[in-house]
Amino acid sequence: MISAIAFEQAMASLVRDADPVLRPDPLSREELLEAYHPDAGPEARVSLRVGPNRGDPCHPALARVVEGDALIGDVDLAAIAPMSTDVLVVGGGGAGAAAALSARAAGAEVVVAAKLRIGDSNTVMAEGGIQAAVGEDDSLQRHFDDTMRGGHHAADPALVARLAGDGPDVVRWLIGLGVDFDLAEGAAPGARLMRKRAGGTTAARILSHRDFTGLEIMRVLREAVELDRGVTVLNRSPAIELLSDEYGRCAGAVLYDLEHRVFKLVRAGAVILATGGAGRLHLTGFATSNHYGATADGLALAYRIGARLREVDSFQYHPTGVAHPPHLAGGLISEAVRSVGARLINGLGERFIDELAPRDVVTAAILRECAQGRGVGRDGSVGVFLDTPGLLKERPQLLDKQLVSLKHLAHRCGVDPCVDPLLVYPTLHYQNGGVAIDGNGATSVEGLYCAGEVAGGVHGRNRLMGNALLDIFVFGRRAGAAAAGQAGTPLAHGRIGLGHVQRWRRELTRAGVTGGSLSPVLYPAYGNFELRSHMAAGGKG
Amino acid sequence: MAGLNSVLLDPAIGVGANLAAWTSAGGGEGLARALDRPQDIIPTLRAADLRGMGGAGFPTWRKWTAAAEMADGEKYVVCNGNEDEPGTFKDRYLLRRTPHQVIEGALIAAVAIRAGTVIFYINPRQAESIEAMRHAVAEWTDSGLLTEVERVVGRNVRLSVAPSSGRYIGGEESAVVRWLNGSFPFPRRKPPFPFEKGVNDRPTLINNTETLANVPHILKNGADWYRNLGIGGASGTKLFSLSGDVLEPGLYELPMGTGLQELIFTHGGGMLGGRAFKAVFTGGPSNTLLTARDLDVPLDFDSVRSRQSRLGTGAMIVISEGTSIVRKVAEYVEFFANGSCGQCPPCKCGTFQMARLLDRIATGRGTEADRRALGHLCLILPGSGRCALIDGAVTVVQSSLQTFPEEYATPGV
Repeated sequence: MISAIAFEQAMASLVRDADPVLRPDPLSREELLEAYHPDAGPEARVSLRVGPNRGDPCHPALARVVEGDALIGDVDLAAIAPMSTDVLVVGGGGAGAAAALSARAAGAEVVVAAKLRIGDSNTVMAEGGIQAAVGEDDSLQRHFDDTMRGGHHAADPALVARLAGDGPDVVRWLIGLGVDFDLAEGAAPGARLMRKRAGGTTAARILSHRDFTGLEIMRVLREAVELDRGVTVLNRSPAIELLSDEYGRCAGAVLYDLEHRVFKLVRAGAVILATGGAGRLHLTGFATSNHYGATADGLALAYRIGARLREVDSFQYHPTGVAHPPHLAGGLISEAVRSVGARLINGLGERFIDELAPRDVVTAAILRECAQGRGVGRDGSVGVFLDTPGLLKERPQLLDKQLVSLKHLAHRCGVDPCVDPLLVYPTLHYQNGGVAIDGNGATSVEGLYCAGEVAGGVHGRNRLMGNALLDIFVFGRRAGAAAAGQAGTPLAHGRIGLGHVQRWRRELTRAGVTGGSLSPVLYPAYGNFELRSHMAAGGKG
Repeated sequence: MAGLNSVLLDPAIGVGANLAAWTSAGGGEGLARALDRPQDIIPTLRAADLRGMGGAGFPTWRKWTAAAEMADGEKYVVCNGNEDEPGTFKDRYLLRRTPHQVIEGALIAAVAIRAGTVIFYINPRQAESIEAMRHAVAEWTDSGLLTEVERVVGRNVRLSVAPSSGRYIGGEESAVVRWLNGSFPFPRRKPPFPFEKGVNDRPTLINNTETLANVPHILKNGADWYRNLGIGGASGTKLFSLSGDVLEPGLYELPMGTGLQELIFTHGGGMLGGRAFKAVFTGGPSNTLLTARDLDVPLDFDSVRSRQSRLGTGAMIVISEGTSIVRKVAEYVEFFANGSCGQCPPCKCGTFQMARLLDRIATGRGTEADRRALGHLCLILPGSGRCALIDGAVTVVQSSLQTFPEEYATPGV
């Protein structure tokens, strides 16, 4: 057990009357990351043994999922009548909704399959806002440069260029659909969008709706999708395998209808995976800010059918997850709190890091404080203070206007944010890498597109605040339009089936990968979901 | 327990369209022997018991004798490389990797029956095979090696590559002739057989690519050597196109008469994922299914026939427990329905109706009446076409109905 400074003692050290001085740091940012970031170190990666990325590094827990065997075999497809559509979107979050709407706009018939329900996703949990270079003091180039630098120059410049370049248009599109972004104070109504600064950026570029931006956007998108007669939404229908044709192209997916406990076959001219990330795999034992469905399903499906992955050993740990009380551990405290000025303070009352440094640096700094015994211990949890009292003393009106979610969270934690600082600890937040895509979301497998967190290459090895919301709409819309275009060209999808699963099983056997893990896992381990017993339990109807 | 044979797939002769490399790897000797004693060619093939590898297993020497006995004049040799059945992928390999092996075999046939024209009839979807063969044919034509052949044949000898129609039906002998005569490849009633009235109404000898590829080796090494390549009563070497639920699918050259068990479990690496063996579609999808009872069958034409099935092209599509037979059969019958040329109404309508019924059953919409209708079609359709396409489709349906009736059972009806 790592020692920590007791909560009461730490509270006593918290200086209240002056802005604390930033402690000088003997380590460079790179040295700090190398020593303390969870992505570093020998246990953080293994080499993949099979598939197109054989030999490439991957997080060990994620490797078990992407190297897993399929849940179903050919016999499971017997006696099922397939349904047909132009474009199948797997995932009901922001990327999936944007993809569905743009595929519709391009004239395609669309089926959206959601594991939970449409809108029930990480998108609604995006609190801080969306980046887009719309300010007169800002430019697309600066957005591009910030994103490349923030991602340690590991991102694909072509993807980042589209991310930054499409930003203003995405915002215009969202406003047109009905999203209500906050306006700058004092400006005439409709005149100026309020812009905030995000960590690691050179201009105020964050547009928000209070501190539940994602929820506001998803409210609008869900309505748009559900009101569109050309979109069939299948809720509670996770994709458990893709379908391939005899040329290895992606030609649809097998869904599992949780309600009726049967498989559904969907033939599609193109498939868009928008299944999100991997937080609920709880990599390296971290709590997560992620939504219940974030179990890397799309990565497993895409990899098995032959799509290349990238940077699957790189994850973002959000610096300020709830550390206490334990039942809320992992819950997110928005970066907005720091971007309006809240400080991070250790158990000695020291300010130890620039709060607006990139997220990976802040995370590593917090982990260093805790590892070296300067963390704050309370009822067995360890963390550092997020000094909200210091912030709110100056500007108490923030809590009702901009930090509404913080107010709710503090209430659930049983603390008054104006009096007690919150105890925070890094939380597994985002999968930086994913399925490799081109500028239109196309993967290395014909007929298969990816958008949103499941895709890689947009954020390099670290993501900036506000770029995730932008990413899902930029690439969701691009993938939707491209998939609709492809679905329009007649493909000779003669026989569809699980040929790719057969090839995959051969590869697993040859490589001696006999771990017996199956994927996609669909739900976290504590969900106690097992496909076959779930199906069997439904046999009595 | 026998190892792989290394005759047709000998890596030393897999030199592509390179005549010099083919000659230095021992090529040309079979043709030289044939030119020395042309009258011995057919007796040697007879002694070697070479069979037609395109699926029929008909003794090659009989076909050659029939063509040779036709009065002299313009005659044709056609090498059939139309190969279009699901699960068969041997001829394309021979044409692409060993074009000179095939050409030499075809030239020996030309010598045996005194034919002046040799046509390589190749599926246009196999662009690489056509490219290799065009190149190889040009090498022969430019080399002057044909002069000796022409002296023995007694007329000019011309080699050419003709892309086929690419249709499944185009591999049938009378369809080959129709296509080469410039018409749609409709099969026709026989007789007259192609050896009587073939290309340009002249005697025409049509052999499968693999059959011709065997010929130079037999002439070079003798009939006894060839017979000894086989196991038991079977003679020679055979290419097996192994696919389906096995660990190592691929093209295997094995002694004729190798056990099915050995092909799957020794050479094919066993069943994928350790599942139980269920059945094999032999010779492509138009024959009776072999099941676990038949794992001991030696894979040669006569032994497989004794189990009421056929060796066919040597394609073996292996099915494990966990793969639906009905789905596979539905897939294959749909292939036949698409492949039917449509000139015989029972075949045109019968394959369509069977495919429709199978699709309903395979997708869970079938009724007991559908299953009965399928059974009735199997009784009335056989023998109703000019060629064997409808018979193949019926055989696979009937065989699966008999062997796996439970998979056709429709719950709740």
